[in-house]
Amino acid sequence: MKFFLPAFILVAALISCNPSNDNAKGDKPLIGVSMLSMQNEFIVSVSDEMEKKAEAAGAELIVVDAERSALKQIEQVESFIAQGVDAIIMNPCEVEASSPAVTKALAAGIPIINVNSATATKPTAFVGSDDVESGRIAMEYIAKRLDGKGNVIMIHGYMGQAAQIQREQGAREVLKKYPGLKLLAHQTGEWDRAKSMSLMENWIQSYGNKINAVFAQNDEMGMGAVKALEAAGMKSKVVVVSIDAIPDALQAVKKGTLDATVFQNAAQQGSQAIETTLKIVNKQPYKKEVLIPFQLVTMENVAEFKK
Amino acid sequence: MKETFASTITQAKNTYQTRVHSLGVFGILLAFVVICAALALTTPRFLTVSNLTIILTQVSINALLAFGVTFVIITGGIDLSLGSMVAVTGVSAALFAHPDTYPLMVPLGIALAAGVAMGGFNGLVITKSKVPPFIVTLGTMTIGRGLALILSKGRPISNLSDAFNFMGGGQVFGIPFPIVILVVIFALCSILLRKTIWGRYMYAVGGNEQAARASGISVAKVKMLVYALSGALAALAGIVLTSRITTGQPNAGQGFELDAIAAAIIGGTSTSGGSGTMTGTLIGALLIGVISNGLDLLNVTSYYQEVVMGVIIIGAVVLDGLNRKG
Repeated sequence: MKFFLPAFILVAALISCNPSNDNAKGDKPLIGVSMLSMQNEFIVSVSDEMEKKAEAAGAELIVVDAERSALKQIEQVESFIAQGVDAIIMNPCEVEASSPAVTKALAAGIPIINVNSATATKPTAFVGSDDVESGRIAMEYIAKRLDGKGNVIMIHGYMGQAAQIQREQGAREVLKKYPGLKLLAHQTGEWDRAKSMSLMENWIQSYGNKINAVFAQNDEMGMGAVKALEAAGMKSKVVVVSIDAIPDALQAVKKGTLDATVFQNAAQQGSQAIETTLKIVNKQPYKKEVLIPFQLVTMENVAEFKK
Repeated sequence: MKETFASTITQAKNTYQTRVHSLGVFGILLAFVVICAALALTTPRFLTVSNLTIILTQVSINALLAFGVTFVIITGGIDLSLGSMVAVTGVSAALFAHPDTYPLMVPLGIALAAGVAMGGFNGLVITKSKVPPFIVTLGTMTIGRGLALILSKGRPISNLSDAFNFMGGGQVFGIPFPIVILVVIFALCSILLRKTIWGRYMYAVGGNEQAARASGISVAKVKMLVYALSGALAALAGIVLTSRITTGQPNAGQGFELDAIAAAIIGGTSTSGGSGTMTGTLIGALLIGVISNGLDLLNVTSYYQEVVMGVIIIGAVVLDGLNRKG
């Protein structure tokens, strides 16, 4: 993939060059979209919603997958600029490394809208959620369940990614508030279910019954931790909370195996991104920052979130 | 003709024996024992039955892949498509493993068929064209990842039957099922490599392909066999992984091929072909698993784990090179 894709994009860019220019001059606005990773369920949901919304609004989207590579993302944005799109929506791979893409688009006079996560360079507009809040909500729930006293384990995403940094920041803010909560161990599970499951199995070996709660920075890892705890017969004694509210996690909350998840609204992020972009393209007033709130999902309210 | 054939076989046999008793395997066994002892001394939780059971369960997936790639490397090839095959087979199994749909044999059979087909495709292209295995399997690695995403529509496939989830999460007399699979497959692979004529052929092909061909061995058939085997074992790994995490994940298995190749190399399989043992590979896989588990128990950041692993891989190859000269 790594070797063939750039060539493919080049060819695709060349082929689509002419018709897209026609489109740009025509009545249909053309929007280039570069997504972090189309192998991630949440990101796919955001992208699906954007396509739906764009079709309804009569806009044309070119969606490409950056495959978690900031370099590839910059190249994709460059090719969008060369194609003369009306606007660019970017779901940044990294805070710093994806920033040049924003700078280049702005320099070319093309509005660029960040969706889901942020870059260091300020884009034309940002649509997403404040990840610090999600970490805060998750850890507050743990504090409530443990009455502010107990040992907590934290499973990080990929170290250094915006979501990881901010979710950790939110969680640590709450930990500071409750001196009775002790962070027993923390380690990266790389957003991956199997990785997090192995990690949890090893922690069960080293800490055993000392573990009172687990905060996993995404649902995949939360589900992995639940599997390991279930296998060890410890799930009933340990509170597990994660973030994203993917269908699998909602199912687990309903069954009572996962204690809570934090709902990040993929559909809202997708549709608001398109809405904001179209306002900018049509020179209407728009908000520079559209924040979509997180919601805690527990067994009591899970029915509202399950489709 | 007959004589050359016999001598090639004897030569292969000798190579095998010298390898088994060479410093390579003992060296790595020694390293393994030393690391285990060090971990046992530093963390009391290491040497417990439950922890060792967990290590074996965690190691099983990598070991299955490593057995497959050991066959391939012995014949002088390489298989970079392992991780993608894990994803394709895992997703295909998951698609047919929903409760109350098909009997357990269906998802298992489909996954194995998919693995053998992909492995066979590798073997076919490698033997029919003169393209190096590195390039061919790099191509199938990409194709496989794409197929896994297409089959799953980019989303994890959950809600799998209890029978299917037993493959990775069940227990037989208190022993996790993946360990049972590991032991059985290890025995079968060892027998195939050591006791059958096909095993001898593999060493012969990897040791000297021209001599093997001259002595009447069907090199193409041997190669087809090892790549198909690699695919079948990847399918088994895909089944165990999917069942263990109770979802078919299209992005599962990324980078698994590297861990598997590392296990084989650490275990003394020579990258130039013609030598290697299943026991060595098993120790290699165990070593990787023990280090990762031990460093987790010691709460060492995973960054350091990667550095340690790299040092061990290079060390193993250097050791193998020294051994070869001496």
